[in-house]
This record gives sequence, C-alpha cells and structure tokens, in this order.
Amino acid sequence: MTAATTQERVSQRVPLWRDVIVLKWVTQLFLLLVVLGAMWFLASQAGDNLRARNINTEFDFLERPVDIQISEGIDTHPDTGGRALWAAMVNTLRLSISGILFASVLGVIVGLARLSDNWIVRRIATGWVEVLRNIPLLVQMVLIYSALTALPRVGLDTGPINGWLHISNKGISMPRIFLADGFYQWAIVVLLGVMAAYFVRRHRQAIQDKTGVHTSPTLWALGTVAFFGFVGLFIHPAFSWLGPVFDGVADLLDSLPNAVPQLLFVLIAVGGATAWIRRFISDRRSALGHLTISDDDWFRIAFTAVASLAVVLLIFRWSGLSAWTLNSGRDLFEVLADKFNVDGAARPFDAMRPDIIQKGKFPNYGKNGLTMSLGFASVFFAVVFYTSAFIGENVRGGILAVPVGQTEAAKAVGLSRGQIIRHVVLPQAFRVILPPTGNQYLNLTKNTSLAVAVGMSDMVQVGTTVFNQTGMTLPVVAIWMLFYLSCSLTISVIVNWFNVRMRLVER
Amino acid sequence: MSEISSAAATAHVPAAAAPEIPKLPPRQWAKENLFSNPFSTALTIITTVILLTISRALLSFIFNPIRQWDSTATNMQLFFTRAYPDEQYVRVWFCLAVILILTSVSMAVWQAGSSIPVARLGRKFLAGGALLGILTLLAPFSTSGTIKWLLAAACVAVIGESTRRFASSGGTERTVNSLTVLAITLAGLAASLWVVPYGHYTYVANREPRVLAEEGTVALTTKLPWTIMLLIAVSAFLLGRWIRDRLPTNPTRVTLLILWLLSPPVLIYVVLRDPSFDMGHVFSTDLPIFVSYAIGGALLLSWLTRPSTGEAGRIVAVIILIAGFCTFLTPMRMVVRLDMLTLAVFALAAPTFAGGPRNRRRYVLGWLGVLSVMSWLITSINTPSTVTVPGGFFIGGFSITLMVAVFTLVLSFPLGIALALARTSTMPIFRLLATWFIEFVRGVPLITILIFFSIMVPLFLPRGMHLGEVAAVVIGYVLFSAAYLAENVRGGLQSVTRGQHEAAEAVGMTTAQKTLFIVLPQGLRVAIPPLVGHCIGVFKETSLLAIIGVFDILYIGRIVIPGQTEFMGSTKENLLFVSVIYWIFAYQMSKASQRLEQRTGLGER
Repeated sequence: MTAATTQERVSQRVPLWRDVIVLKWVTQLFLLLVVLGAMWFLASQAGDNLRARNINTEFDFLERPVDIQISEGIDTHPDTGGRALWAAMVNTLRLSISGILFASVLGVIVGLARLSDNWIVRRIATGWVEVLRNIPLLVQMVLIYSALTALPRVGLDTGPINGWLHISNKGISMPRIFLADGFYQWAIVVLLGVMAAYFVRRHRQAIQDKTGVHTSPTLWALGTVAFFGFVGLFIHPAFSWLGPVFDGVADLLDSLPNAVPQLLFVLIAVGGATAWIRRFISDRRSALGHLTISDDDWFRIAFTAVASLAVVLLIFRWSGLSAWTLNSGRDLFEVLADKFNVDGAARPFDAMRPDIIQKGKFPNYGKNGLTMSLGFASVFFAVVFYTSAFIGENVRGGILAVPVGQTEAAKAVGLSRGQIIRHVVLPQAFRVILPPTGNQYLNLTKNTSLAVAVGMSDMVQVGTTVFNQTGMTLPVVAIWMLFYLSCSLTISVIVNWFNVRMRLVER
Repeated sequence: MSEISSAAATAHVPAAAAPEIPKLPPRQWAKENLFSNPFSTALTIITTVILLTISRALLSFIFNPIRQWDSTATNMQLFFTRAYPDEQYVRVWFCLAVILILTSVSMAVWQAGSSIPVARLGRKFLAGGALLGILTLLAPFSTSGTIKWLLAAACVAVIGESTRRFASSGGTERTVNSLTVLAITLAGLAASLWVVPYGHYTYVANREPRVLAEEGTVALTTKLPWTIMLLIAVSAFLLGRWIRDRLPTNPTRVTLLILWLLSPPVLIYVVLRDPSFDMGHVFSTDLPIFVSYAIGGALLLSWLTRPSTGEAGRIVAVIILIAGFCTFLTPMRMVVRLDMLTLAVFALAAPTFAGGPRNRRRYVLGWLGVLSVMSWLITSINTPSTVTVPGGFFIGGFSITLMVAVFTLVLSFPLGIALALARTSTMPIFRLLATWFIEFVRGVPLITILIFFSIMVPLFLPRGMHLGEVAAVVIGYVLFSAAYLAENVRGGLQSVTRGQHEAAEAVGMTTAQKTLFIVLPQGLRVAIPPLVGHCIGVFKETSLLAIIGVFDILYIGRIVIPGQTEFMGSTKENLLFVSVIYWIFAYQMSKASQRLEQRTGLGER
C-alpha cells in the first residue's frame, strides 16, 4: 500500500454515525444522562413527598434533644440525636474490633483443628464449621439471645466471683480499664516512641545484614515502644502545651472566610484533572516523544476536563459544603484542644471493679464495671462463632496450599520444627489466608448491624429510633452509609497494606 | 448475616484424589488416630469429656418436660405457609407437586445420583446405631424409655452389620444407587406417617378463640398428601428416565430450564394467588395491547434480524429505546412502558442474532414468548386475588423465604452480569458507574439497604403508584445480590484468556457476539462454584426479612408462636426448629455444589 492511499484513507473519515468511537461515547453519555436523570427524578419525587408530609431533610436533628435509651456504652441517656448516634457508633466499633480479635483467634484454632492428626478433634472442627456456616447468622444470634435470657437474675452479692465477675440475665460485668484524662498526652509520647522504634529497627537490621549476627530487630523495636510507654506514664504532662496550640488552630479556622476552602477545593479539582490529563498525554507519548492520540483518548480528555469544570461549578453553587468543612474542622480542633487542656496530675489510665446497686425494687449493675448487656453478648458470640467457621476454612486452605516440598526442603537444610513453622510455612500460608480473611473482617463489621434484632444499641438500632422520632430518614441513612463505608475502607486499607508487605517479591 | 461473598470467598482447596486408605484393625486405628502421642491422648480425653457434657446438656434441654415441642408440631402449617386459607390449601400441594415433578425429571435427565458400596452403607448404619446408643445413655430418660431406645439402636446396628456382612460375602463389590437409598428412606418416612403419631395436637379449625384438641395428629392431616407426593415424585423420576432414553438431550434440558425459570412466578402469582380475571377488562385493554405489540414487534424484529438491514435497523432501535424512556414522562399504563423497553432491548440486540430464516424465526419466537409471559404475569399481578389472607402478604413463613430467594437470584443474575461486563469494559463511564455502584453496595450492610428500601421506596414513587412492601424489599435484595454476583462473575470473565478474545475478533464477530457467544459461556462456567456459594448466601440472608417485619419463618418462630396464648415463651424450641430447617437446606445446597464441582472438574483448572 503506497503512502498516497494511506493518506487518502485517513482523510476519508467514516461518517459520524458509523464511527465506533463516537457511538461508544454517545452511548456512555446517554447512560450517564439516564442515570443522573433517574436519580434526579427519584430525588425530586422524594422531596415532593417529604414536603407533602412536612418532613424536612436538614441535619439539625443532630443537635435537637431526643428521648433515647441506649443499652450500654459511653452514654446511656444521650441529650441529642448526634450524641446518641455517636454512642451507638462507639458500641458498633467495640463490637467489631473485639469480634475481629476473638474470631481470628478462634478461627486459627478451628483451622488447625481441622488439620489435626487426632480423629476426634478433626471431626469436631468439621462439625463446627458445617453447622455454623449453614445456619443464618441472624437465627444463631436470636437463638443465643434466647438461651442467655435463661441466666439467673442479678443479685446484690451473686456472680461467679463477687466483685470481679458477674454473670446474670442483665449481662456480664467485669473490671474495666479505661482511658483517663491524661491519655492523649501519653499517646503523643508513645507516638514519639513509635518513630524512635522505626529508626532503632532499621539500625539493628543494618547490623544484622552487615555482620550476619542475629540482632532481633523487631524485639528491639517493640522494646523501644514499651520503654517510651513506661516513661510516658511519668512525663506525659510535658505535652499539655499542645492544648493552646490546637485552640489557636481552631480560632484560625473560625476566622477564615468561606472563600478559602472553596478555593482549595477548586484547586484540588482542577489540579487533579490537569495532572491526570498530563500524565495521560505523557503515557501516550512514545519513547522518542511522538504523540499519538486516538479519538477515544480525545473523548477521555474532554470528559475529564468537563467533569472537573462541573465540580468547580458545584463547589461555588453549593457554598454550604465549604462552610460545613470549616465548621467541622474548627470543631475537630476544639475537641482536640479539650483533650489536651487538663491539669498535669491526670493519669493516662484508670481501672474500676464492677458494682451492683439497688436503686428501686431490683438490683442492677452500676456504672463502674465493664458491662456487656445480653444483646451485646449474643451479637458478640454469634459473629465470633460464625466468622470463626469461615476463617477456619481460610486457615486450613492456606496451610494446605503450602507445598509439602517446602517443609521437606526446610527439614533437609536442618531447620527445627518451630523454625519451619515460623519461617517457612506460616509466611507462605499467610499470603493465601490474608485476602479472604480480610473479606471476613469486613463481613463481621457489617454483620454487627444485625444487633438491631436483639435490641442492642448499635448504629442501625439507634439510627432507626432516631428517625422514628424525628422523621429524618434520609440523613440517618446517609450517616449509616458514610460510617459503614469508612469502616470498610479502613479495614481494606489495613488488609491491603499487609497484603503488599507479604507479597512474594519476585526477582 | 451471611455475607454473600463469605460463602463464596471460602478458600477452595481442590480435594486431591484420595488413594484408597488401607483399612486398619480397630485397635491400631485408635492408636494412630486418637492416641499417637501424649499430647494427642490428652486432647482426645479432654475433647471427649467436653463433647459428652455438651451432648448431655443438649439432650436434657430437648427432653426436658417443660419444653413445649407441641408448639412447633401444632404450628407446622404456620411455619411453612403462614395463614394461607385451609379451603384453598390444595393449591399449596399442587405447587409442591409441580416442584417435585420438575426436580425428579431433572434428576433423571441430568443423571443425578451416584453408586454407593453397600458395605459402606452398612458401616454407616452400624455407626449410627452406636451413636444412637450412646446418646440414649446420655439422655435423661426413664428406665423403660432407655431400654426402648437402646433396643432401637441395637436394631439399627444389627441391620447395619448384617448389610455389611451380606455385602462382603460375595466376591464382588455390591453397590446401590444413592437415589434408590433416598427413595427407600422417603418411602419409610411416608409409611411411618400412617403408623406413628407424630404430634398430639392440632387446632380445631374455625373456632375463636382457637383451642387445642386431642383429636387427630399432625401426621393424620398430612399423611395422604405426603404419600401422594412421594408417588408423584417416583413416577416423575421414571418418566424422566423414559424421556432421557427416548428424546434428544439438549432440547429436553433447555425445556426443563425454561420450565424451572417459569415455575416460580407462575406458581406464586397464578396458582397460589389465584387472580380473578375481569374478562371484560382483559378483552378491552390487555389483549389489544398484547396483540399489537406481538404483531408489530414480530414484524419489526424479523426485519431487523435480516443481515441486509444494516444501519437503518440500528437507528430504528435507538429511536424505540428513546421513545421507551420518553414514555416515563407521560402518564401511561405501566405495561405499555415495560413492553416498549423490552422491545427496545430486543431491537438493539437484533443484529447480534441476525442470520438465516431459522435464526430469525427463533428470535421472533423468543420475543413472542417473553412478551406473552410478561403480559400474562403483569395482568395477573394487577388483578385482585380470590385468596383472602388476613394482614400482609398472601404467603408467609418458609414459602416467602423461598420466594424472596428465588426472585432475588433470578432478577439479580442478569443485572449482576451486566454490572460485571460494565466493570470489565473498556468504556470509562460504564466502568466508573459500575465500580462505584458495586463498591458502594458491598461497603454497607444489607440491613441498612433493606430498611432504606422498605421506608424510602414509597417516597420515591410518583403519587398514585403503589408497590407492596415485599416487592420493595426484593428490590433491595436484588441490588445487593447483583453487586456481589457481579464480583463473582468478574472473576470468571477475567479467567477467559486473551487468545479467546483475539480469536473471536479474528473471525469477525462483533463485540456483542464475542461477549455473548465466546466470553460469557466460558466465564460463567468457571464462576459456577462461587455462584452456588452466592445462592446459599442469598438463601441465608432471607432471614433478614424478620427484622423488616415480614412474616418469614424466623419471625413466625420468634415472635408469632411464642406470642400465642397456648404457647407463651416457647421461643427456644421454635428457634431451634427454624435453625434446623435452614441448616438442612443450606447444607444440602453446599453438598450439592461440592458434588457438582467434583463431577465437572471445576475449580481444578
């Protein structure tokens, strides 16, 4: 084919309605319009309907008083809707974090038991997995709840260990260690310790790499953190000056005009789009600097530019967004300043023993102990048991996935049994176990929302009560989504971080 | 809550073909498996003690005289169909018969079942007898009860031992088909209904307040129907065998699949709901709409599928699509809009299926079939029912659990595939929208989505339009399930190698043809194991209906029955029964999926 005909072909473009690229983009934009149109249609319908029922969708219900009783946690009689949701959030987080810890431990045990040499242990573990995996979690939860209600009634001096551990139909109460006023100052010291530990670890590792002597760098790093933590118990008031600093930042944020965050957002939007387009163009450039941009690429660039302009427009149209950012930033720093503005004698930690008080006719747990209500206990046991079955299967699969040759080779070079497990089997099994187990952690966190069925005050239960009282369905649902999405995001970021660290480094 | 992916994400370990383990004499076996070293011995003793304690506690719970097990036995009907009227109960049996026939015929056509060595069966019986004996000794029975149960255990053990001896007596290995075993077991159960009184209580019908009477047993009211069901199932199986031997395989299987797909909506909305058609209205409105769409659509599609139609066909298809969306802006009957959108989809896909007269005829027939089923269903859903059920939806209990699960799966399947395709597509806006949707839905708990839909859907709808609570909740389930399903399908799609794509392009397929005929069949095949896991997940998640206040089996077992004046506080018994029901179904499904994987060799490549 000669150069002339090629030229001709290029200049003789296909008509617009037959151009695949144009068609593709028209379809996509059409779909985008349909989706946006549908959302707008639904939103306006909902708005009309809500107005017709005299329901407004402001977030000010967070500051208005509500009448809610919360089963347990940091605040059992919250004044405002916002405070109620906050206490509920703390409950959900407690449930998720303790659930993840215990489910992991139990899951590893179940997984190892399934691989045991002992027939009866193996059989029990298999039964555990097959029974728990195939019954819906909600059914297990309400079953455990109804079983726990059969516990003895609470009495003034009952409980397996009076004054230390009480188990009754009001729940389980045990000694509580809690963060006292000095904790945040102490946390700064520990943070410094963590930084120091990083350098100590690098130093020890360097020595080990150079000389070949075993220097146990991780142990040293942990020791450094522990040392800082111990010293911090005595010197933490040294950081009380951070309080005024945060106060100053809060004042600064308060005095800023609305235009500053707006400008910042615009810069982020435009800057992001520009950076993306520049990177995109440089990706399309060949090694010699020759740029080839297809029609498809032109559409992508145009779409990005238009989208960033749309965001800019939105930022200026919707000034409430930047005002909200400024306000919440100021609130955040005021809270931080409060945490640091304590007198020097405050301790970082404190502990209390459970107590039983009798206010009216019946005795009940006081506020001193760490009390787990029946609802909390049933959700906790249900999610731990249920998730342990799944994690157990992951652990078993991960260990089976390590080829036998690895163990044999390790034996051949003379490693001990403990060394084989620690340095050969576990690192390889961990790589297989981690991704699905991270998924299970996500599921566990989301599954705690079933607590609403047993009357434990978690996000969903309190949120339901709040919107039943105030009629603010949409805002509460938005808060739920935001909370659970950020939980999911946090867990997946942590799991991914481990994942990247554990990944096989191929050379 | 079983997250849907949790069942799917379980690490799958391909079971290596186990070599035949040489059988050890019992003493050596015990030494190797229970007492191989001091640690193992200690473990054996401790776990045995714990196991015996727990079994004893469970048995004394079950056989405690204060347990109101008759609350479960009396309320069987409530558990499975809620308040479905007794006069119309034959409809329920009819639905069950249809499902049984379909199941049996499918089992025969797909050649389900495997051959089991008789000796193994005997050993299982022997072990079962021994277990029964141990449990009897642990249970808090009176002396006569203990002796009775011990005798039964001994009988089982003797049967097992003699079967084993009989099987190993001849030189050759005797085997028996697992379906035969199943049939014999079911026959035994059905026969026992005629002999053994299972419950002593039943409600006296139509008397307020409802009272318990001694007359009749649970088995008495159902022994005849169940026996007929068994006979129907067995004869359907024989029919299926005959079909398999006489008729060509593929058309039979396709017909069966279509019947399976059609049966849930038809059984629920036509048989169980029994709409009383207003014939005048049908002839004046519904039929004309259907006929005009059928004729117009058929003509249009037969023109569009002509390979020579070319560009004009696409333009017409797009015009129909836009017109279909525009119908939502004007007041119009819903069925007109839905038919229009369906026609637009068919028109858009027409060039993909274009070809000779045979292809075209098939495509037009497909359109007619979909249209007629859709019209019929919409018409029957829109007509009032003759079955009057107090309060709420017309079915409840376990049947609503199954209904929600089936509808969720059937509806979310195409949506999930579309989302997976969009997420793997090269078109950025499609990919972006699909990714956001999937990640958003997967990030929040199902219960928040369900609460949102049960509260918000009435608000989203235009004034004057109504959607039942169950329908609103099913929409939530469908969206949730589609997001998880999309991720499973995406895994399958990504396993299709580049060579397949390139080969399809090389023979000149369009993108749609490549996706439909090359990528999806291979990708879905790989995705079967996680998809079955997903089905189990959806089945378990239906228990969340109880939180929304729908009368599903869990709600009935937890709230309704313990609230009856006769059975105050019988929560534990009924919850235990509910969990056993759920367990049986979910466990059977997971076993079936394992068998499927082994048979097709999936998951091993």
